[in-house]
Amino acid sequence: MSSIEFRKDLFADERDDDLNEIGKPTIRQDIIGHVTGRTRFYDDYLFDGLLHMRCVRSPHHHARIRSVDFSAAERMPGVRRIIRPQDVPHNINTLLSLINFGRDDEQLLSTDKVSYMGEPILAIVAETERQARDAVHAVRVDWEELPHVLDVEEALIPDAPVVNPEYPNNTFDYHALYDHQKLRFGDVEAAIEKADFVVEGEYQMSPIEQAPVETCGAIAAPEQNGRFVCHTSTQALFFSLGTTAKQLDMPSSRLHFIGGTVGGGFGGKVDSHHEPLAVLGAVLTGSPVKYTWDRTEEMRVGAPRGAERWRLRDGVMRDGRIVAREFTGFFDSGAYTRLSSYAIIKGSGHLPGPYTIPNVASNVYCVYTNRTPATAMRGFGITGVDFAIECHMDKVAETVGMNPIELRILNAYRDGDMKAHRRLAKNTALIECCQVAAQKAGVPLSAEASAAKSSEGGGIGERADIPETITDDMGRIGDRRQREIPTEPFGGATNRGRVPAGTRGEAVVAAEVQDPEMQIDPTRIGHSVSQAAGTAAPVEPPRPVQPTPPPIPTPQPLTPPPAPVPAAPQPTRPQSAFADPTEASPAQSTPYRPDKPFQRGVKRPGVSSFISGTRRR
Amino acid sequence: MSITVETYATLAEATSAMRDKTQFLGGGTMVVRGINYGAQDYNRVVRSTDAALRGIRNEGNQISIGAGVTMSQIMASSSTDFLAPVARLVGGPAIRNMATAGGNLFVRPPYGDFGTALLALDANVQMSDGQSLPIERFYAQRDSQRGIVAAILLPRPAHGVFRFRKVTRTKPKGASVLSIAATLPGGSRITEARIAFGAMGPTPLRAKEAEQALEGASLDATGIQRALDTCLNGLDPSDDSLASGWYRRAVAPVHLRRLLLGKES
Repeated sequence: MSSIEFRKDLFADERDDDLNEIGKPTIRQDIIGHVTGRTRFYDDYLFDGLLHMRCVRSPHHHARIRSVDFSAAERMPGVRRIIRPQDVPHNINTLLSLINFGRDDEQLLSTDKVSYMGEPILAIVAETERQARDAVHAVRVDWEELPHVLDVEEALIPDAPVVNPEYPNNTFDYHALYDHQKLRFGDVEAAIEKADFVVEGEYQMSPIEQAPVETCGAIAAPEQNGRFVCHTSTQALFFSLGTTAKQLDMPSSRLHFIGGTVGGGFGGKVDSHHEPLAVLGAVLTGSPVKYTWDRTEEMRVGAPRGAERWRLRDGVMRDGRIVAREFTGFFDSGAYTRLSSYAIIKGSGHLPGPYTIPNVASNVYCVYTNRTPATAMRGFGITGVDFAIECHMDKVAETVGMNPIELRILNAYRDGDMKAHRRLAKNTALIECCQVAAQKAGVPLSAEASAAKSSEGGGIGERADIPETITDDMGRIGDRRQREIPTEPFGGATNRGRVPAGTRGEAVVAAEVQDPEMQIDPTRIGHSVSQAAGTAAPVEPPRPVQPTPPPIPTPQPLTPPPAPVPAAPQPTRPQSAFADPTEASPAQSTPYRPDKPFQRGVKRPGVSSFISGTRRR
Repeated sequence: MSITVETYATLAEATSAMRDKTQFLGGGTMVVRGINYGAQDYNRVVRSTDAALRGIRNEGNQISIGAGVTMSQIMASSSTDFLAPVARLVGGPAIRNMATAGGNLFVRPPYGDFGTALLALDANVQMSDGQSLPIERFYAQRDSQRGIVAAILLPRPAHGVFRFRKVTRTKPKGASVLSIAATLPGGSRITEARIAFGAMGPTPLRAKEAEQALEGASLDATGIQRALDTCLNGLDPSDDSLASGWYRRAVAPVHLRRLLLGKES
């Protein structure tokens, strides 16, 4: 029945094969309803007197709104209500405000200017869809076109047009410090200097529309006692509920959201734009209101997977070992943040891919351009950079004249290896994937590569250690507006800091609930949460700087070579002018102590799994 | 704006009912979509149930295709077997069951592959007022005149003379990056070739310099070179979501070469 081949011979000793679903063929729980045509999607719910909503949209990439004249539209037959920006009670939001990440930067209906083609400025509710469409055509808008920017790197030059007033540098602000997300591990510059080859590559992805069969939409209707029901195609029901409550300034207890049947989502139905507008329409008219995109809107206004541009620079030894990898990444967020800021955090944790590379540095930018805002799509944050990494691995293999599969096995991460984001790799399986792929593709592997195992040879010596790490402070928020600064790691840097080997860095402190009133009392909803959940979790002290044991000779074939010894501190380098002295000197380093309790991977009411450090613990 | 739909038994009555803000409905694959999307330039739709619109007839060595004949009918009729591969490439089965030969003369790029084939075949367009227009003249004045197409009259090409190629990004239902149709009479020495490009301008367009360059030439790499060099003259492709005008110009000679040499790739 299934064409999936389960390779249960692999990792058999790591797994109790007694689970009911995992490792077994299964059918989707909703498939019977779908194939028999009995599933009810949001648009299958019928309401007497249903009204239809359409939006007036920007025809320009970037324009100021001088004036809007809807007097003719208002008088047209069937038009029941014209919803203006000032009718939206809380007309500014960012999706991730629900987990306290980033600042509100996007209006539901825009007031002063539009920053992408298709941005809505008015919503018209009429008795038929046709009447709503006709009324949209009758609205006269006096646009003052502004210069626009459509390329991520052009948006970073000092005099580029400002796309998003909340982020006037055209970049998302990371950690209130930098205009990009930094990752530093080891000393990339020194390692590249010593490498036999330097392999560079640039990879560009286009935006991709999720293209669901069912276009995004919602129907809202008044219920009794001041409540509103909302049938929606959303993929993220409670996200949409929370966003609607916030934008309509309405307690969520007045909102009755019904969803769960999504006619294709793939990430394109999390943006929660339809629900607030449909409910607002129902509030203002007292009637059921449907707001749905047509196919053209789905393709042109619906947020796609964002375009990404990646530049990679590897230091490679003649035998195929990659000793350094440097990334410069640009996410095209479009005009607003939506979820791109988060995708970058996620992607940076993934670098340098499933490989153990002793020196890694990366600068990743979340850039605002006058393009359609980007959002989630299957594995976003990872998929794009993985495409770049794997193309690049082939390029490296070509450079050193090696079978690309063997190159991957040689550099693959193994259990117990330290990753660049300072977590130990576990349950790794790249080597076995490569071996099976080679076998299926009929690619012969050397005896050493065939005998390699993910569970062996990792975590030995420096493979498990956090090296001394070189840092820089280039690209502070706003600097790029003053002068051109190279975008790559250490670009333009004259000062460097040093973080002693073994330093883990700060753990992420759980975000506080935005509105204390919304803190859930666990007893009210029937969960009993132990007191321990609210207290500090035991914090792992930083690993002491230990003398590196000599690489243990092992009888394993193809023992991955130990990482090269990091360059000895060079006295010629100036002491960092900016680094925290406690960080700069190993002698003064104090163990990290969180100033607030945090949990890691805890599932409890009121805590989003987004912010937990890992879900695998 | 409410929509009025008027149905007439004869084409003559339908013709006299045409006024401003009115569209004639063939298969509806464009006109009804326009209504669904709130098109503001028409609110009145005229259609006709005249049986003459739906017939394919042999008239001597000419074939007459009623304007209301669907792509599916073209594929099924033995009289139009040489056009079946063209009709087969228009949309999917649902579209082909509705889309008409006459309607295809009015669609905008990237659609209009069937009309491109008719241009290469030197068809005549029979208007409902009795006028008969060479298809090239019909296309030149299409957007400025009002009138209903009754039928399309075309000569049956000799076996193997007519060739067609449609370039799409998705298969089998993609719209055209471009399409090329050609009649290449003369066997080893081509005479009076006609080459038409679709989606390379606002209407299907002939590549006249390339046609002249093929006069007396043989269909081999050297014989066609001058035609490839000149085939873009007079074409005016624009950008759309499928391809940029630049890309269309870049690949058109490549696909013309494949068409002329009879190579798949």
